[in-house]
Order: sequence, then structure tokens, then C-alpha cells
Amino acid sequence: MEKSVRLSAEQRDDLVAYLDGELPDEQARTIDQIIARSEVARHEVEALARTFELLDVLPTIRASDDFATRTLTSLKVMEAPFVLTDQWWFRYLVRTATICCWIVALGGSAWLGFEITRDWIPDRNEEILRDLPIIENLNKYRDAGDIEFLRQLKFSGVFEEPQEK
Amino acid sequence: MNTVANVEDSGYLHDPEVQLMLRAKKGDDDAFSKLVVAYQDRLTTIFFHMTQNQEAAEDLVQEVFMRIYRARHGYQPNAKFSTWLFRIANNLAINAHHSKVRRKEIALPTGESSSQNSIHPDDRLLAEKSAMTPTRQLDKRELQAVVQQAMDQLNERQRLTVLLHRFEGMSYQEISDAMELSVPAVKSLLSRARDTLRQALEPYMQMGK
Repeated sequence: MEKSVRLSAEQRDDLVAYLDGELPDEQARTIDQIIARSEVARHEVEALARTFELLDVLPTIRASDDFATRTLTSLKVMEAPFVLTDQWWFRYLVRTATICCWIVALGGSAWLGFEITRDWIPDRNEEILRDLPIIENLNKYRDAGDIEFLRQLKFSGVFEEPQEK
Repeated sequence: MNTVANVEDSGYLHDPEVQLMLRAKKGDDDAFSKLVVAYQDRLTTIFFHMTQNQEAAEDLVQEVFMRIYRARHGYQPNAKFSTWLFRIANNLAINAHHSKVRRKEIALPTGESSSQNSIHPDDRLLAEKSAMTPTRQLDKRELQAVVQQAMDQLNERQRLTVLLHRFEGMSYQEISDAMELSVPAVKSLLSRARDTLRQALEPYMQMGK
């Protein structure tokens, strides 16, 4: 028996595959022979097998009770079509737009009201401008007295320019 | 046309879970919920032993199902459903690990090794206490802590390979399909992993018997 035979890296890989039942028949027979001949290999196989047995103590973990529900809900949300009115910001947008509309409507009404009603209240300046030619000649009109007198003067030919000869 | 023929010829159509997925693809949400229920504990177990945190594990499981759900319209039964699912889980685990490493690099530039940080403090205490007296009889929780600490010495790929083999009973071929590795690579990963575990657990070998 070859007690002190050292295993190559390839043989070590094969030992693990052998334990996992993953070696082709021919290679498995070779490993069988190595194990039968070598105490080192035998010890190695036993140690590797026990190592894997120790992994049995690692627990199986259960997902939370609501995991499936949570996941499926998330998937639904992810896939949900985009609905404008369902957006969190939509409410604020509508409120802001409403306020803006009210401001525009009130401003427009105020302007329209002003345009409509400004003729109802006489504008003193406009009256003065309209009457300016009369005001400028007011002294002359006062000197003339009344309109009938002026008309008679006009018919009498006083205002006509003398014809040059 | 060829694709349709290939799918129809596929032996995987006999897999009941593939059938459920095909129903989910057509909009049957009940079929999808059956898949969630069937795999939630199995995936939680795998991710828990990767992250040591139930909440993080469940978040990752949920992400796996979300990815599957999003991809359902393009699903083709080219493999067993479990192979496809664990391939997604593998990608997610690798991404999560990279993010975790990046976060730790930022948070702990000169800190301890990641394997030590990933262990729950109580379990680390238990493992350290047990390491001082490996010959005495350990209770189950202590032994779990010791084995978990040994598992944490493995790199991510080795650990996932061991977990898929141990908890899912997957063959080397199935693991290689799920992890997108060659069969010899899986064989080598498992061998290295088992060797590391053997060295770490040698003092406690008698307890497992």
C-alpha cells in the first residue's frame, strides 16, 4: 500500500467530482484504484465527504410570509400603465392651474369692466381738450355778446376782405 | 419559423415550470405567482448565505423575479426554467457583490476584510468562541456559525457553486449552464471550495457526524 503518495491537483479535483458522482465511469474506476492503494487518498476522500456533510447544518431560509404578495404587487405597479390622474403630483398641478385660471379670469374681468365702464364716467381732461378752441377764444366770444349779433355782422359784409383793385 | 420549430422540438417543454413561464408570457399572472411561490424560499436561502442578511436576500430575490417578469415577453424555453432563473440570480449576485465591494471601498478604505465584515457580530463571536475550543461539543447554532464563517472564506463564485450544489442539488452541467462556465471550471471551483472548507472545518469534523 502506498501510504505516502501525494495527490496531484488534478487528482484532487477528481476526488471531489468522484464524491459528487460526476466522474465518468473510467475515471471513477481509476479513483477507486487510487483510494484502494493510498491511505492519503482515502483520508482525503473521508475528510472531503465529512466537510460536505457539515454543510448540512446551514439552515434553509424561508422568505417572509408576505413576500409573494409584496413581489406580485410590485410587479403590478411596475407594469401598470401610466395614468396621469393617478400621479401624486397631478393634484397639485390641478390646484395650481385652477388658481392661475382664477387669477387670469379675474384680471380679464377687471380689464373688460374697466374698458366698458370708463366711458360712463366723463373724463375731465378729454372735455377740456375738446373745448380747447373755444376756451382759447373765450375772450373774443365774450366781447361779441351773442351769436345772433355775429350772424348779422356776417351778413352785413363787415368780415369780407376789401377787393383789391 | 426555425425558432418556432426549435422551441417546439425543445425537450424543455416538458418542464412544468417552463409551461408555467409560457403561460406567464401569455399574460397569466397566476402562473407567474406559482413560480414565485415555488422559488422564493430556495432563492432566499441562496442569497441569504451570500449576503448574511434576510432583508438584502429578499430584495435580491425580488429583483430576480422582476427581471424575469420584465423579460417574459421574449422568453424562449431554451433551457430548464431553473437554469434560466439561477443564471439571472448569478448575474445579480455578482453585481450585488461588486456594488458591495465598491461601497466598502468608499466607507472603509483601510478596514477589515470583506469576509469578516459580512458575518453577523453575534455569529462571529460564536465562531471565535468555538475556535478556541474546537474539541468540545458545539451546539447547533455554534456549528452553523463556524460553517458560515468557513463559507465566507470562499470567493463569490465558489460560494455560489457550493450553494447551488448543496441546496439545489444541481449537477456540474446544470451549474455550468446557470453560471455560464465550463464544466471543468465548475469542477475546479467546487474542488477548491471543498478544499478551503475542509481546512477551515477540519477541527470540527467530528461534530458533523
